[in-house]
Parts: sequence; structure tokens; C-alpha cells
Amino acid sequence: MFRGGIEPLTHVLPNGLTLLLEADPVAQTVAAGYFVNTGARDELPQEMGASHFLEHLMFKGSERLSASVLNERLDDLGGQSNAFTGEEATVYHAACLPEQTGELLDTLTELMRPALRESDLEAERGVILEEIAMYADQPGIRVIDELRADYWGAHPLGHLILGTTQTVGDLSREALTHNHRARYGASRVTLALTGAFGPEAVLEWATANLADWPAADAPGVEPPPIPAFPARVRVVPDPELSRVQVALAAPGLPVTHPLREAAGVLADLIGGENGALYWALLDTGLADSADLAHLEYRDAGSFEGGFSCDPARAQAVLDIFRAVLRDADALITEPAVRRAARKLAVSTLLRAETPQGRLFALGMEYLATGRAETTPQLVDHYAKVSTGAVREVLRLCPLDRWTGVALGPLTELE
Amino acid sequence: MHALPQAPPASELWTLSGGLRLAFERRAGPGFAFDLRLPVGSAHDPVGQEGSSGVLEEWLFKGVAGRDARALQDAFDDLGVRRGGGVGPEATRMGVSGLRDDLGASLTLVADVLLRPDLPEAELPVLTDLARQDLDGLQDSPPDLLALEARRVTFPRPADSPLAGFAHPPSGTLKGLEGLTADTLRAHLDAYGQAGAVLGLVADLEQEAALSLVSDALAGLRPGRQPQATADFQAGRRVHVTDADAEQTHLSLTAPGIAPGDSRWLAWQVALTALSGGSASRLFHAVREERGLAYAVSASPVLLGGQGFLTAYAGSTPARAPETLEVMLAELARLPQGLSADEFRRARSGLRASVVFSAESMRARAGALTRDVAVFGQVRPLAELRASLDALTLESVNSFLAAYDPVSEITIVTLGPENV
Repeated sequence: MFRGGIEPLTHVLPNGLTLLLEADPVAQTVAAGYFVNTGARDELPQEMGASHFLEHLMFKGSERLSASVLNERLDDLGGQSNAFTGEEATVYHAACLPEQTGELLDTLTELMRPALRESDLEAERGVILEEIAMYADQPGIRVIDELRADYWGAHPLGHLILGTTQTVGDLSREALTHNHRARYGASRVTLALTGAFGPEAVLEWATANLADWPAADAPGVEPPPIPAFPARVRVVPDPELSRVQVALAAPGLPVTHPLREAAGVLADLIGGENGALYWALLDTGLADSADLAHLEYRDAGSFEGGFSCDPARAQAVLDIFRAVLRDADALITEPAVRRAARKLAVSTLLRAETPQGRLFALGMEYLATGRAETTPQLVDHYAKVSTGAVREVLRLCPLDRWTGVALGPLTELE
Repeated sequence: MHALPQAPPASELWTLSGGLRLAFERRAGPGFAFDLRLPVGSAHDPVGQEGSSGVLEEWLFKGVAGRDARALQDAFDDLGVRRGGGVGPEATRMGVSGLRDDLGASLTLVADVLLRPDLPEAELPVLTDLARQDLDGLQDSPPDLLALEARRVTFPRPADSPLAGFAHPPSGTLKGLEGLTADTLRAHLDAYGQAGAVLGLVADLEQEAALSLVSDALAGLRPGRQPQATADFQAGRRVHVTDADAEQTHLSLTAPGIAPGDSRWLAWQVALTALSGGSASRLFHAVREERGLAYAVSASPVLLGGQGFLTAYAGSTPARAPETLEVMLAELARLPQGLSADEFRRARSGLRASVVFSAESMRARAGALTRDVAVFGQVRPLAELRASLDALTLESVNSFLAAYDPVSEITIVTLGPENV
């Protein structure tokens, strides 16, 4: 456990598909994932939700396997398979006992060759419409969706990952097939493995089985997104709710920025479990939640946070929230930075304890930065964060101007 | 029996002289994890003081042994540890994981919280108001509201019980919160002691060193009590709660199950896995894959008052909810006909794999050690558990299922714009 000091093996097949292998012979299980460099930000506005729809359809079987057989094979591995869609990444993953590694690779790879049958489309459209309805019943999610649309404006980083009932209702097999062909080419795909497996055997298997993965155009280079970032709080009245949800966003740093860990420390000082917002708002009982996080994309970043409270307290809580952010400089002290950095370093280390935990750190980092770093290296980035670095983040991202959305039984908020 | 890749680590179970049970497993690695379970939860709140356990747990962290609330939090953070736990119906848990060298200090901090809390009275109005805000928040979440209504309908408090039981959340009730005072909560704290308490611990330590670290920190814990709330299942109830603004209609089904000590326990687990354990399981296949009626549909075992129950949930938009309910009931109704050989094999291999997965991280293993002792009275060695799974046959599971008919006693609670 925590051995992980050995460089992960990176190998690129002739078609551009990348293998990322971090073997740990002492582990009890194997985890594998296809990390695809595509997500909601690659969608046309009228096709919003296509990435997520595709993710669902991948589980509907290939030309060789029906959905039922594919699902049975995934369950045979122990039922640890799943997938998720983000703004920039779509990930399909599974884990199993070491003796099933061959079946794991075969089944996960079969899943990546979807038939996209017309007959499967309609039932799955129903499932996704239900998923949209489920989140529509959660005010904390609704307010974030509204915030991202305001903050990013026309840029697709503001897209709803699930899409809308309209766009999901309209997505045709043709559009989905086109999206799949254009965005699942070999150069966008990384297969990562962690845990108890032999890298040579996997390399051999990959050379034999993944060489025919269709190539496609690499993602085009686009200028970094410029958020719309309107400096206002928009109110979305909903008189049926009993509480007010407020979400706020301001510019942060991209995932490739050398100060990204320092930005994480700054967010923790302000909005972590022991952060200034907790003591100003929860410890005093003014709000029942208040937080701030640093979100990273490949060429942009944001600080995003918010709170929920009684309607009558919304203005007072917002004023305090802003005051905490305005005075963030005073939070950057030697002991506070050391404490937050240590906490983030230890949690990075503990997350890597199992092959499944390590898989996501390895794959997501590689997709975002192109670097395959060891766990000790990742831990070290946090351990080394200094007060000077955190101050520099605050200079680059002054947190003095915000885009906000308030949802609940209220009509105005300033 | 298939051999594990390595010899499974041996675990030890000790009982301290005051009654606290310590389940320890040695594991290589720089980390540690422990999970302390005290058998007092919201079901044990006194009648009229609903919310006692939830508010008390928050109050305990508002300053201890010369540290104010903030200094206490800083002390945990200085160790870089991750804290978990909280208040459930039947227990209050405090879990910590971090680096091995910080185990002693972490145990001492948790012991301070339980043994030497300041319990500042000025904080109480804030904490009861936060619980009230939490109850208000439930009104905005249809699935949470349904879960609450389902508990209320399915497990009402027995009329003669002095304990509030399972019909309210840890945040209590508005009326119960009004009944809380510093004195009632201090009296409630008397129950939080060694009686019935279990600490699961995983770390790379000699057995004696582990025992002595835990004894040094927690041997002085008060005697405590182990209250027992009765889960008085109401069979065959059918209730709809109207929520005109909900986007979906939410369905909750509860039926009798098998108690943990019962010889049919593992057969029941296999049946539940076939019913809802993966993407080829019956509920997922019939409701989601085949008909696209819901995104979320599941069934799981719930243990209350020493009994086992089967609960199932789904959410569908109002027009489709009646069909979703019909399909779920049909799937439950055909359980007595038994599993196919394939279903049995898949469910059993899924459970075998989950034995390994659930023991992989120190934190998960510490939680499992604690649960084993609390629920089964002993640590179930992983190899033994796998052997018992291997010993199950399709015939034994199907002969159990032939006599298991959850639908005959099922209670259904729904919440949404229209009755289902």
C-alpha cells in the first residue's frame, strides 16, 4: 500500500491510443478505465447532453453483444463498473479480482464499441429524461446549473451535462453516431490500469486488440474560454421552496497552472470544513451550509461556492459571505497554510490506497495535464505549498467580484 | 475454496474491563483508520425530546478540555486526518483516518470529545436552530421527505415506548427540539459509554501496541447504556403524500427480511443481489433497461431493532410512476419462484468480490470490523465468509425463496403530484 513510487508506464499505440499502467503486485484487485478526452464542452448548443447520452448508450451493447449480455458480463466481474461524464472527460471504469483481468479488459473494451442501435435509443432517452427530472427536484443542483450558465455565458463550459428535456428529446441516432465518431477516436482515448496485473501481458493484449481502434481528428486548439462573468446576483424566484440557495463564481486557475495546488489551499482556508466561511456562517447558525471550492479545467478555472439559509437571512448571509472573501488575505498565515496543505496531502495519499482510488487520480491527471505522476509526487505538490504561493493566487484571482444566482422564496438580493 | 492472493490478515477482538470491544486488524502501510460506534442514535431520543442525539453530537464538538471549538478543529487538522461518522437511527459513529504516527493523538482527541466536552450552554440555541433549518431543508427535497414519511408510516413508535423510535430524522422534530435543554442533553450523554460500544481499528502495529493505545485513550469512558428501540413494522399499509410541485413521483416499498443472526441471512443477501446488485439485476433490468421508466431504482437490506427489512426505491415522472410501481411489485412477487442458475452464479460471485473490495481500504475495513462486531457479535474472517458463500447452492437459495414472499406484507408509501 502506498508503494506507488514507481513511474507509471506510458505507452502510445501507433493509432494514438495511450496506455497508462501502474502495477502494484501487492494489491488485492485490479482497476481499469477508459478515459476519453471529451465531454460537454465539445457539444453544439442544440446537441447539449450528447456526451452524457452517449455514455448511457455505451452500456446498450456492441455489434457482437446485446445489452443484456454486456450487463451480465459486467456483473460477472463483481459489479464494480460505472461511468461518468464531465465537461472535459468521459470515463468508463471497472474493477475485479486479479484472476479476471482478461475478462475485465475484454468486456470494458467491448463496451467501448457501441452498436448505437435505434431500438435502444428510446428506452434510454426515457431514463435520461427521468434523470433530468430527478435533479430538477434538487434545489442545490438547480442553482449550480443556473450559475454556470450565467458565469460562462455562451461558452460551452456553461452547458448542462445532462442537456435539457428539449435537447435530449431531439437528439437523433445520426447526431449521436456523428458525435461518437468525431470524439472517440484513438488519440482521445487513454486506457489506464492500476493494481495487481502484469504490464507486459497488458501491453501484449493491447497491441493485439486495440490496434484497430479508429483514429479521428485530435481536438482542435481553441483559445481559452473567456467567462461572461456578469458582476451581479440574479434571483430565480421559487415560492414553493422553504430555503434559499445561493451560488457564486469568480475566476480561478487552469489545471496546468503551477499554482493550482495553492489555489486548492486558498479555497480550503476560505470554504473548507474548517474554513472562514464555516466559522462565520455555520458556527453562528446563520446558514446551514457554506463552502467554496476551486474548479479546474484544461485552460480555465473558477472558484465556486455558496450557501443555503432561511429566506429572511439571505441578504445578511450574502453580505458576510462577501466580507469573508474580501478579507481573505488575512487568512493566509503560516500555521493555517501548513495545516490546510497537510490535510490535502494526507487525503491525496489515502485516496491512492486502493487501485480504484488510484485509477481516478492517475487517469484524470493524465487527461488534464498530460503528466503521469506518482502518488508521492502528487502528495509533494501539496506538501510544498507556501504562504507566498497562496498570496500569489489571491493576487491573480482577487475574489472581489462575483457572479451569483439565488434560488428560493425571494424576489431580490443585492 | 479459492485461495486469496495472500494469507488473510488475522483480526483480534478484545473486551476492555469497562465493556468497550476493540476489533483490530494489522495491515501494512503508513496509514491507520478507526471507527468508533456508540449504540445510541436518534431512535433512542426520549419521547418529546426528538433531536437529542443529533444536537448532542454537534454540541460535543463545541469545545473540549481547554480547547474551544475552533482549536479542537485545528488540532484534528494539524494531524491532517480525515474525520467521518455522524448520527444514525441506532448509533453515533466517530471515524478517523490518517497517518499511523498520528493514531494515538487522534484517539486522544476523540476521547476528549466524549469524556471532557465543555458543552457551552450559549451554543445550544444555535445548534437547535441549525437542526430546525435542516428540517426545513427536508421540505425542499422530495426523496428525503418520502424517506421520512415512509419511516413514519412503516415504523411508528410503540405506544408504551419511552424512546422516540424510528419515525423522525436525527435532526428531530420541531416540537422535540423545543423540549431540549442543557440538562436533558447532559442526561442523554450518560448513555454514551462503553456498554455496547465497538471500536474497529486497522493499522500496522503490534497487537499489544494497538490495545494499549486504545486502552490509554478510552478505558476511562463512562459505563454508558445500550438502549433498545423496537422496530414495530406495519404490514400492508398504503399511503400517498401529495407534493404538487415534485417533478417526479417517489416510491418507497418496505417488506420483512431476514435478521443478521438467522441461518437464512446469506441466502437472503444472494437474493437481494440478484434483485438489485448490478446492471443485470432484476429491478435494474426490468425498470430501467427494458422499459426506461426510471433513472434511480434499487432495493437494499435495512437493519432496524435487530430485524432485517427489504426496502426498495424508485423515482419516475408522474405519468410513468404507476407502471414503475407495477413492475417493481411484479419483480418482488416472482422471488418465490427462485433464481436461475446464471443469476445465482452472478450474485454469488458479486458478493465474493465485494468481500475483497470492502476490505481493501483501511477506512472501509475499520468500518466493516465495527459493523461485524455490532451486528454479528464477532469479526467474520474474510476467508470464512468466502467459504460460506461457496457453500451456498442454488437449491438452498431457492428453497429459502420458495417461502419468502415479501409482497404479501409489503407497505407502500408514495410522494408526488398524484396518487399512484
